[in-house]
Amino acid sequence: MTDNNNADPRPTEIENEVPMRHSESYWRYAWRRFRRHRLALAAGIVLLVLILGAILAPWLTPYHYSRQNRRNMFAPPSLSVPDGQAADKCARPQVLWWRCGIHPFGTDDLGRDILARVLHGGRVSLIVGFSAAFISTLLGTLIGAIAGYWGGALDALASRLIEIMLSIPQLPLLLILVGLLANPEVRFGVILTGLLGDSKSIVMIIVVIILLSWMSTARLVRGQVIALRQRDFVEAARAVGASRVRIVLRHLLPSVTSVIIVQATLMTGEAILIESGLSFLGLGIQPPAVSWGNMLSRAQGFLYYPNGVYIAFFPGLFILLTVLCANFVGDGLRDALDPRYHGRV
Amino acid sequence: MATYLTRRILQVIPTLFVISLLLFGLLSMKPGDPIDEMRRGNPGFTQADYDRLREFYGLDKPWYVQYWRWLGRVMHGDFGPSRQFGRPAAQYIFKYRFPNTVLLSGLSLLVAFCVAVPTGVISALRQHSSVDYVITVVNFIGVSIPIFWLGIMLIYIFAVHFRGFLPAGGLATPGVTGTWPIFVDRLEHLLLPVIALSSLQLAQWTRFMRSSMLETIQLDFVVTARSKGISERRVIFKHALRNAILPLITLVGLNVPLLFSGAILTETVFNWPGMGRAIFDAILVNDFNVAMVSLMFISLLVLTFNLLADLTYALVDPRIRYG
Repeated sequence: MTDNNNADPRPTEIENEVPMRHSESYWRYAWRRFRRHRLALAAGIVLLVLILGAILAPWLTPYHYSRQNRRNMFAPPSLSVPDGQAADKCARPQVLWWRCGIHPFGTDDLGRDILARVLHGGRVSLIVGFSAAFISTLLGTLIGAIAGYWGGALDALASRLIEIMLSIPQLPLLLILVGLLANPEVRFGVILTGLLGDSKSIVMIIVVIILLSWMSTARLVRGQVIALRQRDFVEAARAVGASRVRIVLRHLLPSVTSVIIVQATLMTGEAILIESGLSFLGLGIQPPAVSWGNMLSRAQGFLYYPNGVYIAFFPGLFILLTVLCANFVGDGLRDALDPRYHGRV
Repeated sequence: MATYLTRRILQVIPTLFVISLLLFGLLSMKPGDPIDEMRRGNPGFTQADYDRLREFYGLDKPWYVQYWRWLGRVMHGDFGPSRQFGRPAAQYIFKYRFPNTVLLSGLSLLVAFCVAVPTGVISALRQHSSVDYVITVVNFIGVSIPIFWLGIMLIYIFAVHFRGFLPAGGLATPGVTGTWPIFVDRLEHLLLPVIALSSLQLAQWTRFMRSSMLETIQLDFVVTARSKGISERRVIFKHALRNAILPLITLVGLNVPLLFSGAILTETVFNWPGMGRAIFDAILVNDFNVAMVSLMFISLLVLTFNLLADLTYALVDPRIRYG
């Protein structure tokens, strides 16, 4: 779960020299290349559908995600209303073909509709995934760029920090961090509760994932910046008197944008996996909020019930689908943004 | 080489020191203390007892004083008692937990490596074929699947759907006797957790092996070997593979300690009494001694295997020399 061990001991390719066509910008060229990558394009579309489904969840489902129906527990997936089941207490009678009383993915141990919960759970899981990946990549880029360009003591400090963070077993650190943030005696957690109320666990999990995942980006960006530091265009910028901050922001970071974008995409999948694992252990998103991970946390106990397997099957399937699509898109982006990579990895 | 080795080994000590300080500090920031566990379920436990025990164990002191005392005891090889189990923490971990983890993680590691190398090589040699395509997609699924969900689905298929074809979890069936039945029973209990645990590494290593192999077969010495008229089989196995496998060995080395610490999800799903679960429970109930001894041990493993990976690399690759 937390094993972000894509550590590649070999040096990575540095140059970003793209064989550009005349009068075609880099990004147009990249988009053209990305479209050629059918699998990545399809994955991107599936990902968009999943995101739309999550955003529109409250309007797409006839039921509220926590609506219980004790007379219809452990219902199998079905597209018709079971006999003798009066449709009751729906938020709306019908959405497209989805009439009240139909449970396309079945119902769980409390008679809640699994599809409604999966769609709503997607909101939390995707928010956690995207925001954690975005901020963690930003933080990693910042630390990596500073360490790589400034060098000296700052670099030594950052490198030691990265190394120590990578040597400490991640899971216990996660446990301790979650415990700390949930602790009523720790000021930060209390402030969060005051600010956010019930959604506190979401912010908490994002913070924890960021703290544990910025290192790989930092290491990557640091390496790239060090390699680019001595190149002519940077020397030229230095010669005309550009400040360090300007050189990093205007000259160095744009050259590593492609690497950072790919990293952010792959990190999204990673973050969703971490969230699901933590929630599975009961440390992540807390009920009544629903996420794909916390839908799974009690699911194992229902495997021996008739139709109980669907409680575990569907949330996990959506995690797999989302992370898989994110990885395919990341792969396609790597090919498109850095053509030298094509077919190699 | 000797000076390099000495320097690297000496570097481990301050790093371990910093890690232990960090972990101890973090642990003591957790709410509650080990005495809470004793108080629970003991109605005769008074506030006076509580204060007395806190003083007795030195828990009333600030955390850095506690850390100093802990360090002093550890220097003498004493990791303190486990408050959950009333036996020495180190004994509990190394006698009852670590062997199970070695069994499960070691086997997973072995399976992952033995499958990843041939699969990666085939995938690389048949690049852009349908075999390569299928292997690549399966690899993508392998890195994207939540391990615990894979475990749950495996349990559903093999233990629930096919009524007890394989056990749903645990270490062994109680009451099985005889060498052969015990061996078979063990294997049955190991099969599903090993599949679940090795899936991620298997996918990553296959992918890695494939790209490493693709890179190697383009290199000049392979072309030279081919042009000298050496048979294709010899070129691949004798020249290309032996070089392509080097970076994988480093990666495997770096992954080994992760398997010893990161198996918590698999252990939870399959109810396997290993290290991951022990650490998890110890932190939850504030059994600090158990948590510290296992965490320090794992950190030591990480650092050792980092070092070993570098050394192995130097041994098998004559181009690398350490001054």
